[in-house]
Amino acid sequence: MTSTPETAARSVQRGRLSRVGEQLAVPVAIVVAIIIGAFLSDRFLTLGNLLNVLTSMSIVGIVSVGMAVVLISGGLADLSVPATVAAGAIVTLAAQPVLGAGSIVLAVIVGLLIGTINGLLVGYAKANPIIATLGVSTACLGFVQAFLGGSIVYGHDKALVDFVNSRPLGIPLILIVFVVVAVLGHMQLTRTVWGRQIFAVGGNYAAAEASTVRVRRLKASAFMLTAGLASMSGAYIGLSLNVAQPLIGTGYEFDAITAVVVGGISLLGGAGSISRALLGVLFVQLLTNILVLEGVPDQVQGIAKGTLIALAVGLDVWFRNRGGRR
Amino acid sequence: MKRISGQSVLATVLSYRVVVALLLTIGISSFVVPSFFGERTFSLTLDQASTIGLIAVGLTVLLIAGQIDLSSGATLALSGIIAISLQPSLGALLGAVVGVAVGLAAGALNALLVIRFKIESLIATLATMLIVRAIAYWVSSSKPVAGVDIDASLAVTRSMLGIFTPRSLAFVLAVVVVQIWLSHTVAGRNLFAVGSNVSSAAASGVRTHRYMLGAFLFAGGMAGFAGVVQSLSINTGSPVLGDTVTVSVIAAVVIGGTRLEGGRGSAIGTLGGVLVIAFITTAMQFQNVPNYMQQIVVGSLLVLMVLLDQLTGARARAAIRPRRFVRRRPFTPS
Repeated sequence: MTSTPETAARSVQRGRLSRVGEQLAVPVAIVVAIIIGAFLSDRFLTLGNLLNVLTSMSIVGIVSVGMAVVLISGGLADLSVPATVAAGAIVTLAAQPVLGAGSIVLAVIVGLLIGTINGLLVGYAKANPIIATLGVSTACLGFVQAFLGGSIVYGHDKALVDFVNSRPLGIPLILIVFVVVAVLGHMQLTRTVWGRQIFAVGGNYAAAEASTVRVRRLKASAFMLTAGLASMSGAYIGLSLNVAQPLIGTGYEFDAITAVVVGGISLLGGAGSISRALLGVLFVQLLTNILVLEGVPDQVQGIAKGTLIALAVGLDVWFRNRGGRR
Repeated sequence: MKRISGQSVLATVLSYRVVVALLLTIGISSFVVPSFFGERTFSLTLDQASTIGLIAVGLTVLLIAGQIDLSSGATLALSGIIAISLQPSLGALLGAVVGVAVGLAAGALNALLVIRFKIESLIATLATMLIVRAIAYWVSSSKPVAGVDIDASLAVTRSMLGIFTPRSLAFVLAVVVVQIWLSHTVAGRNLFAVGSNVSSAAASGVRTHRYMLGAFLFAGGMAGFAGVVQSLSINTGSPVLGDTVTVSVIAAVVIGGTRLEGGRGSAIGTLGGVLVIAFITTAMQFQNVPNYMQQIVVGSLLVLMVLLDQLTGARARAAIRPRRFVRRRPFTPS
């Protein structure tokens, strides 16, 4: 089998033309966004601005790689991202006096622990993913605040801040990390047994279970991956700002979900790819950047993001109903 | 034989879990809160709980119909802002009416996305939550709005009929009316049918889409009403209002025995669930426990309840295991 599970599943249902059209929709939207952005603002196509877009894209992008796997495995979405990002940032800075740069490892471990709770709830107890992760997120944010006693935490390692914000060869460090994460995620999804099984679990849970795929463990692993990556993003945010507070991760869950569904990954599971998620991230970041340059306040951008989610998911459902029922 | 009776005891405890949880929280609270059984303490607790209570009644109906609304916290904020900011031009009463109408509109938007565009309600209301919250920030310019009609605020918060305030009376009345509607009318029974199996309900001649639309409108309207009353009582509309309300509301409803999968639930159970959350909140406030501790407790409670539902549900399903190989997603007539 040379085709990916995604194209294999879809080619049965639909003609080649509409498939090409769907593949090209997001790239075309990105080009249109760039043209509109350049038209509206002189600052849009400057190097500084584009580097800003790439940096913020990298932070969301790392989370989105995990979120994409959650969606493909049929896990709907992970709403505990704000808590894991905050835990990552706060643990990294708070443990710095003791562990130094090693505190990043501790932060990722804490993230993986939260992910394990999510995984046990969703994978093993088969709880509703959105409600379960919402509850976990609320409780964990409470724990994080209790840990800090309601204050904020500062970093102490100036050299590390400089390193994290550095640009080797003019490329922001986080962008390099993001590219590595994305490539590894892509390889894992397309070249390993684990990746195949993630598609299988999302495509047909009962059939995967009957084929002795360890469905529970796989679903749990998707949530652990997301939490681990989110705490990594959190560690970067904490280090680059050198200060962290419990609400630092607010909104990242929606940014990641928006990006992934806009990229065309179905909430029904069983189909999608990392590259689709990345195109979604790029488009949403460009759109956000244009809104910021046009002076639209931060909080109001939710209108655009919410509309994008509804539009993308609605279109996905519409295409599926037209192309035959699953 | 002993094992079976042990299991049935557990099953009984679980099916009356609202009562168990309520007795537990009352027991603990009575230790912690001085004069807990006093009329005034209970009145205050009920008054504070009525905001999440009003939303919870709406969500109960929606969950029974098999759908969910995550946007209620955002609707609460927007309706409050609209009601308060319209006070100078329209007066307090008309402003409040428009505020509730905003809630209905949010419910209608949810219904449109779920019924017409067939988006799963969890995701659709996640999207409307973002949109409605953003509109709340937009119309208020990200700042709290102060009311101009202090009389309206006083009217909402004054106590009446002994232990009630207007909003807690509205909450209890809503519980009674919804409970009677659910258990004693044909429409109420049909709602359960819609929630437990849409396609067979439709096949039996139930107009499923109308019931869903009605449930979404009711949930949105109740969230709007709760937002208006809440904002009137503090004479302020704020875009950050209710950002943690959704978790409390879902926790209260689920403690009350309403299932997230639809087709099961009761308004009386929700009243119990809301009281559990309310007693916990009061007890913590009396102990000066910081806000984030409540977050930990409510979040953990929600996770625990969902887990409990899954574990007991899994046992019930095990008896009819062959069904697992029957098509999962029911055929939905379009």
